[in-house]
Amino acid sequence: MHNLKGKKILVTGGAGFLGQHVVRALIARGVQKENILVPCFPELDLRRRADCDQAVKGRDVVIHLAATVGGIGYNQAKPGELFYNNAAMGVYMIDASYKANVRKFLGLGTICSYPKFTPVPFKEEDLWNGYPEETNAPYGLAKKMLLVQAQAYRKQYNMNAITLFPVNLYGPGDNFDPVSSHVIPALIRKTAEAKREGRNFIEVWGTGKATREFLYAEDAAEGIVLAAEKYDKPDPVNLGSGKEISIKEAIETICRLMNFHGEIRWDTTKPDGQPRRFLDVSRAEKEFGFRAKTGFEEGLQKTIDWYRSQYAG
Amino acid sequence: MNLKDKKILVTGGGGFLGSHLVQRLLGRGVSRELIIVPRAGDCDLRIRENCESIVQGVDVVIHAAGTTGNTEFHRDHPAEIFYDNLTMGVELMEAARVAGVEKFVTIGSATEYPENAPLPFREENLWIGFPEPLHAPYTIAKKMLLVQAQAYRAQYGFNAIHLLLTNMYGPGNEAKGGFVITNMINRMLAAKDTGQAVVEAWGTGVPTRDFLYVEDAAEGIVLAAEKYDKPDPVNLGSGWEISIKELTETISHLTGFGGEIRWDVSKPDGQMRRMLDTRKAERELGFRAGTSFEDGLRKTVEWHKSRRSGESVS
Repeated sequence: MHNLKGKKILVTGGAGFLGQHVVRALIARGVQKENILVPCFPELDLRRRADCDQAVKGRDVVIHLAATVGGIGYNQAKPGELFYNNAAMGVYMIDASYKANVRKFLGLGTICSYPKFTPVPFKEEDLWNGYPEETNAPYGLAKKMLLVQAQAYRKQYNMNAITLFPVNLYGPGDNFDPVSSHVIPALIRKTAEAKREGRNFIEVWGTGKATREFLYAEDAAEGIVLAAEKYDKPDPVNLGSGKEISIKEAIETICRLMNFHGEIRWDTTKPDGQPRRFLDVSRAEKEFGFRAKTGFEEGLQKTIDWYRSQYAG
Repeated sequence: MNLKDKKILVTGGGGFLGSHLVQRLLGRGVSRELIIVPRAGDCDLRIRENCESIVQGVDVVIHAAGTTGNTEFHRDHPAEIFYDNLTMGVELMEAARVAGVEKFVTIGSATEYPENAPLPFREENLWIGFPEPLHAPYTIAKKMLLVQAQAYRAQYGFNAIHLLLTNMYGPGNEAKGGFVITNMINRMLAAKDTGQAVVEAWGTGVPTRDFLYVEDAAEGIVLAAEKYDKPDPVNLGSGWEISIKELTETISHLTGFGGEIRWDVSKPDGQMRRMLDTRKAERELGFRAGTSFEDGLRKTVEWHKSRRSGESVS
């Protein structure tokens, strides 16, 4: 058990969606605000080795959340950038942390690292048994390198580096940009726009049959902080809610919560992405006592409320 | 693509494979001054800025540099091996893309195949499982160059390809230990010189491997640089396999050792069989390894012999 209080902590991506929740969770643990460093682009570009060295200087703990991410459309349009940015940030952050004697490094992988056809629920042992779903493979594989590097550094240098693999996150503060947003914010936004414009239908990508698991960002932040405190092993750990839901069911819930009664038009020319996503979350519970506590409807309602407070005026 | 008149960067060009690559390119009519061979000492490719400056004005990159070594080296240095190979590859390809390089050839390895891949290894089975754990930091870092090549082709139309090479052997391999052929030739030549009657070999001798003569490997790579412009990886192998026992006996014969080979079965055999399916290289590049094992081995033994006599003179 590492008491994080009094520790100097670097949270890369700390100004982002998940990062803000992690910073809040750290402060709630008693970490002083001035002990939390959140590097900001472009002052610090973590794809540059020298900037990583500067960011980790004097840090006890590094929580590496920074990533270039997006939904299916973004993944299809920018595979090169997604690969390069994530691979470069990861490889430099871990090495810089090692060289700076950081005591604990927590890297965040992604469910996109799993093979396309993983038996559900996905177990950590299955991470290598196939190629990821094609649209998100460059992103998922670049992120999986955090695990390979963490294990190699633990073996050679005994560095305490761990890797978590979260499912799709959602919640207040998420990215609602039409180009790069993930499925939940994209659907909330589409529904809100249809209502505002008085349209009685919305268009949704794919068939709706694909399933996903969604983790409320505050729960994810709690899981990350617990792992930083309690988990010191080389093996990867899934972070999820343990609940599988189809995209169709998710959009119906959103429509209901937003009082939208129009038609859902499925654009089946657009890809579904990975057919099923659902994690075995028993390791996180066993190793550091993590269980997601926010129900999907409750989390969605808070997310919708936040979206309305930000965008709807 | 006609390589003549192209400016070609060969990273690792001073190494075993790299020096043969340079010879092949010269044989294709590329002039010496158009071939750039960075030296690790004065151009550390793990540094982004060095990658950026070395690719200026370059038309073709053949990235053959890598940090690797024998079993002990892989066991003791997984972190460095991962870091060096990933940063070199990722930064060099990025720099090449930004600089407008026309073609980028990445040299991968048969060890990228999962342990559970069916034999002979076919390109479509590259991702079905985890590679041999000892070499995983190396092989996974190299495999990322395939992922990067495919991602860059998809987003930028960048012409990057990935080749999977099996074990190589041939003149010029001075690697210290680990590489079975070099190792065995050296030990048998030494045994012969000192009148030693027994040479020890690891394991049972039963496992099989395929071996590619380094000049053939260089030819395959140059052919791929000229002709292959697709995202999928291509195996480069010899198309045949030989048991370690048969290999050892052939070397004994060629070196003139002729003494007893004592198998130390307490030592590990490693993977029981390893062999690449070479049909795709034949189909796509018209590549077939032209050198018979007997011929290749004879040339290799001759090279080691002349090197030993050179050493004893000096």
